[in-house]
Amino acid sequence: MNNKKAVVVCSAAVFSSVSLLLGGCGKESDNGKIQIEMVQYKPEAVKAFEEMEKRFNESHDDIELKIESPNDAMTVLKTRFIKEDVPDIIGIGGDINYSNFVDSDMLADISDFEGLSTIKQAYLDIDKNLEFVPMEGTYAVPYVANAAGILYNRTMFQENGWEIPTTWDEFIELLETSQASGQLPLYFGFKDTWTCLAPWNAMACDLAPADVCQQVNKGETTFAEEYRELSEKILQLLPYAQADPFAYSYNDACTAFARGESAMYCIGSYAVPQILSVNPDLDIDSFVFPANDNADEQLLNSGIDLQFCVMKDCKNKEAAYEVLNFLLEDESIQIYLDEQNAVPCKDSDFTLPSMLDGMKTYIDEGKMVDYQDHYYPSEMSVDALIQTYLMEGDTDAFLENFDKQWIRYNRDLIRKVQNYEAEHSSDERSER
Amino acid sequence: MKNDRKRTCMMITIPILVLFFTFNTLPLLKGFMYSFTNFKGYGDYDWVGLRNYIDLFQDARVGKSYLFTFKFALVGTILVNVISLIMALALNSKIKFKSALRGIYFIPNILGGLVVGYIFGFIFTYILPAIGKAAGIEFLSSSWLSSTKWAWFAIVIVAAWQSIAMNTIIYISGLQTVPEDVYEAGSIDGATGWTKFKNLTFPLIMPFFTINMVLCMKNFLMAFDQIMALTKGGPAQSTESISFLIYQNGMGGGQFGFQSANAVIFFIVIVAISVFQLTFFGKKEEQL
Amino acid sequence: MKKRNSAEKINWPITILLIVGCVTVFFPLYMAVIIAFKQPSEMTNDIAGALAFPSSWGFDNFVEAMRVTDFWHSLGNSLLITISTVILAIVIHSLAGYAIGRNMGKSKFYHLSYLYIVSGMFVPFAILMMPLVKQTSQMGIGNWVGVIILYVVFYMPMNLMLYSGYLKNIPIALEEAARVDGASTWKTYWKIIFPNMKPMHATVAVLTALSVWNDVMTPLVIMSGTAKNTLPLAQLNFQTQFGTNYNLAFASYLLALIPILIFYLVCQKQILNGVVNGAVK
Repeated sequence: MNNKKAVVVCSAAVFSSVSLLLGGCGKESDNGKIQIEMVQYKPEAVKAFEEMEKRFNESHDDIELKIESPNDAMTVLKTRFIKEDVPDIIGIGGDINYSNFVDSDMLADISDFEGLSTIKQAYLDIDKNLEFVPMEGTYAVPYVANAAGILYNRTMFQENGWEIPTTWDEFIELLETSQASGQLPLYFGFKDTWTCLAPWNAMACDLAPADVCQQVNKGETTFAEEYRELSEKILQLLPYAQADPFAYSYNDACTAFARGESAMYCIGSYAVPQILSVNPDLDIDSFVFPANDNADEQLLNSGIDLQFCVMKDCKNKEAAYEVLNFLLEDESIQIYLDEQNAVPCKDSDFTLPSMLDGMKTYIDEGKMVDYQDHYYPSEMSVDALIQTYLMEGDTDAFLENFDKQWIRYNRDLIRKVQNYEAEHSSDERSER
Repeated sequence: MKNDRKRTCMMITIPILVLFFTFNTLPLLKGFMYSFTNFKGYGDYDWVGLRNYIDLFQDARVGKSYLFTFKFALVGTILVNVISLIMALALNSKIKFKSALRGIYFIPNILGGLVVGYIFGFIFTYILPAIGKAAGIEFLSSSWLSSTKWAWFAIVIVAAWQSIAMNTIIYISGLQTVPEDVYEAGSIDGATGWTKFKNLTFPLIMPFFTINMVLCMKNFLMAFDQIMALTKGGPAQSTESISFLIYQNGMGGGQFGFQSANAVIFFIVIVAISVFQLTFFGKKEEQL
Repeated sequence: MKKRNSAEKINWPITILLIVGCVTVFFPLYMAVIIAFKQPSEMTNDIAGALAFPSSWGFDNFVEAMRVTDFWHSLGNSLLITISTVILAIVIHSLAGYAIGRNMGKSKFYHLSYLYIVSGMFVPFAILMMPLVKQTSQMGIGNWVGVIILYVVFYMPMNLMLYSGYLKNIPIALEEAARVDGASTWKTYWKIIFPNMKPMHATVAVLTALSVWNDVMTPLVIMSGTAKNTLPLAQLNFQTQFGTNYNLAFASYLLALIPILIFYLVCQKQILNGVVNGAVK
């Protein structure tokens, strides 16, 4: 009987290994159409993209569009680059990954794409700033953005007659009033270190130059200088939040705000779906973080949440442009907006979700600055540095360390920028 | 006869070594090569010579992660081995509901990181502090996960909770090789309880003890999932393990080259520890 | 015989202790189950609320979770990969354990082979990942076939240790008896050694299956772009950058837990029934 069993096991093994080899692949047949493959990194928007894909393929006979929305798309994308199995179009965020892709010369210059003229200049500028060294050409079409500042419980504000603050002093006063009335003003989810960046980024819009990282790379200034006020002010928020904010996660904070445990929540518009999932009836509005004393100089913290880039290896740029044109049609954007609440980057008439009421004028006027952390290399873990700082509260040590770490993690980049600057300035001189 | 045995063993071993070389050593060598570059994981890269290795020995964050990882692994390995040996003896003794109990104690090992992270996050953030406050126990009354002093221990507990099942299974299967007549002979000699375990059972399952020590040490040294689930390296970067840095910064960030160097050094360190364990316990095995 | 009976008397104190200890499993499991039945709007940070029963015990979350993960397809892929890996592991790793483990005491070559393979266990996957992605794709196995092959290699060190450790307790005399009868080594292995390692096969099967079943990273990077999902890959769906649907996720995790738990219980019987006691020593 042992023999029989061995035979069974053996043949099973052989069978499985044979089936392994035979099973393999099976790619869709070519039907003469040009195939455009797009990978976009927001799996939560899969339904919107399925709808767009369907509509595109119904209205186009010559091009077949395939949109993939994989989970953990950045890992998938990076592995596909290694496999040299590169899609034609990628949908990614306007963050350091984009900067790296541009820097690695992987994206195609799409400055001849007409659709670019319909995009709000502020977002094109944001993309421009993300380039490590100024490049010629354009490498992405901003699609939708998100905005960050303070979300507040509109009902609670109305019941208490609280006014929206427009300066830092008014803001602190509001926090005092709220706390005195027995209502916890703020809730933080600092256990998830990335949430430390939410107030940091929003306040940085008013308190630090937008291009501080580029300036530091050029050796023109230091973070110790530019981030001091920001660092001191962010520390002042802690007494107005729950005790030990480092024990609570992003999800805890969303739940707490949704349940009315805090009047305000310093986070971006991206958190709204999670909050509403807990309490669908919550009336949320937002305002721009008033981090300085002059309301007119305040800027909204807004960054590109999704943008499309054509890969350099794309064989049929015409077809890729056709897809981009389709995606940028108002109707397509509206499909996305209905599904996800977001700020469209296209300059056209869209209805914004009501939780962005307080930010609308800034969006319309293009008074926006990107998230500071979009310039931070992720391996530097600035979020963790800020968390450490918020726990320890030593401003000098934090800023000194920030400058030190920055140089450590950006060494190659700094050299590149300074080489570029040196060449550039000598060019200018010789031109003269 | 002898030749047949030799030939058969060779014919088994050679293809296995080839397979192993192709899918483990070869990529490792390529990774080793990347440790001399500033490769980001994609795009082009430059050779930077020994810079990554020099950086590695000057990087305070890496140094801290080594300290954390070893403290974590040492405590975790001891805790898990003691408990799972006890569990294995208990589950292997004459008890009622044997299958059900074995099944139940196996469950922690199957729960995914998201579930474990959420549930234990809730327990450490809300339930334990509430109990601590109610009972007036100082060190329980605030969340361990936000304490730079205690967060590592919280992760040890959760990691142990998950991995005890696996080590228990290995001990149980080891206990199956202990022949019953050894016990019978033992009980005639009047050996009971601890002496029986120490003199009879333990020597016989010594090979499994070695395996468990090595596997457990390895799992704790390379811990990543539980850290991601519970603290993501925080608070204040106090629970960043070496694997955490390698994954986060090597794959997620743009430090593939540097973290490859880190991985190479880490690999050498663990191999050294394990070879030491294997030879040390191997000698013990022979003595027993 | 008498002695046996007395030894088989049920040890109640230990039984009770073990039952009490189950709390450490049941409490977290209880939380997972009620969350799986709740709606997102029932989620709260309040302890009493979090531990309370869901407002209704409908299976909507499970149905929805199955739809989102394309459950049956993903399950099929997971089963295919897990079962193939386990079968190959039992066959290949036990052979390796025999060939290497039996000889490593006497021969330097086998001793070094043993250390070589076991040390492979300590290579952080992160360093292998990128080269492996490239290598598998160049070899045309950047799909589930490649994933299975990689698993067979990844779990070889652990299983080699387990098998050769187990073989230390199976006396050489056993196979020598067969050899006297003129059987070849190969035949002796399958007739005598392989069946005698049954408890270890079951152990290896459980440990390997478990690791494979839960693994996300390998299929994610190796199979990327093949549009095939395993269960853990599909479960990533519940976690997006800025929000996690814990209710659906937990429902899905509980569903994924069932097959592997059944597999474990089946194997567990084998570990016990296959006791070699009398035959050995």
